[in-house]
Amino acid sequence: MINFDNSATTYPKPQPVSRAVQLAVQRYGGNPGRSGHRISREAAQQVFDVRQKAADLFKSEVENVAFTPNCTYALNMAIKGILQYGGEAIISSLEHNSVARPVYDLFRHRGVKYSIARVSNDDDETVRDFEELITPKTKCIICTAASNVTGQILPVKRIAELAGKHDIPFICDCAQASGVLDVTIDDGIDFLCTSGHKGLYGPTGTGLLITNGKYPLSTIIEGGTGATSAELEQTGLWPERMESGTINTVGIMGLGKGIDFVSQKGRKNIFSHESALCQQLIRTLEKHENITIYRSHKASYAPIVSFNIEGYTSEQVTAYLSSKGFALRGGLQCAALAHHSLGTLLTGAVRFSPSVFNDSRQTMMLCREIEKIADKKVNI
Amino acid sequence: MPKSLIAMTSITYAMKAKRLLNDQGFYCEITRTPKNLGTGCGYSIQVTKPPKEIILMLEKHGLPHGNILINAGG
Repeated sequence: MINFDNSATTYPKPQPVSRAVQLAVQRYGGNPGRSGHRISREAAQQVFDVRQKAADLFKSEVENVAFTPNCTYALNMAIKGILQYGGEAIISSLEHNSVARPVYDLFRHRGVKYSIARVSNDDDETVRDFEELITPKTKCIICTAASNVTGQILPVKRIAELAGKHDIPFICDCAQASGVLDVTIDDGIDFLCTSGHKGLYGPTGTGLLITNGKYPLSTIIEGGTGATSAELEQTGLWPERMESGTINTVGIMGLGKGIDFVSQKGRKNIFSHESALCQQLIRTLEKHENITIYRSHKASYAPIVSFNIEGYTSEQVTAYLSSKGFALRGGLQCAALAHHSLGTLLTGAVRFSPSVFNDSRQTMMLCREIEKIADKKVNI
Repeated sequence: MPKSLIAMTSITYAMKAKRLLNDQGFYCEITRTPKNLGTGCGYSIQVTKPPKEIILMLEKHGLPHGNILINAGG
């Protein structure tokens, strides 16, 4: 099977990631940060080294990098940590459910109000829309760096600047941006949330919550941190404050090798390679009048392409492609808000998301199958 | 050589301190914080340089620390 569903999780993983996972299980079985004995300290050293790699990649301080089980956890921790006691939030119209649902839950149960800024193909309009929604009660702005449906890149630096100007914490969902776009804490992001298993090529079960330390963050999970254990109050110091319970040493060690892989390849090179495959697909899709591509010439995109073929639901198309050995994701990609904006809430969309391991030949083979559907040469 | 213990506020800060001191050519090892130095579980750094000098370095790099035990043996 050829995987073009790498926005869900990258697969295959680089060999060193697999080896690091195996090594973690075999040699680093101690509980990091919990004991003074050698196996605990050795595991802690491995975790620290990966923390430093993540800090370097996202231009942060090592102590400001917290490991989470995935990006959704990181976003929940940031969003609920800021809005725990109420207030107002602004989110974008392209948010994944990992942002939309926690905000909606806070609206339903904690009296939090929220508004949705429309993402336009024109960055000036997008930033203006965010600005117009700011009120004296706005407690945070949350937006994705790149849509997981269309790949559209949002003007993160400008939104961060806007949030900074109003002294509002800015939370950024970098799940689709990490590993392909140069998004870092330096962009003015107060809480950068990302998965470790997508563009960073780590194993599933890994994510990161990174802060610039500007705003305090309440916790939504408390417990053992290996520090100040005699006190009932949760430690105030990052990263342990955000890492209650035993952390995923095995996944984290794999993630370290994933970050090495991305650093060695270079984000620009990865972006260029994957974008070239997207363009190859788009050239084929554009030949067919019965195919709608959800892109605009005015906007910039991460290497993701979503499309639909007239007369078919996205699930019908992806089921056919799956039978031919191609993994693409149909449906709503857990982003109803984005599909509402696109007008594809009923059909969903077929999403093509390559990784560094895909190539032009594989994309050409996929194009042939898509053309068979578009030309009605197959019954699906 | 007399050793001193400086309690650190977390394992992450202990490791960051160790790296900083090692990079500058100073001896530094991480050890469990003894009961008389901390509040519950925790980690300390064991150093041979005069603690005053080390503390200044930690503070210069924004590394929070706890109590100090001079001449901790070893």
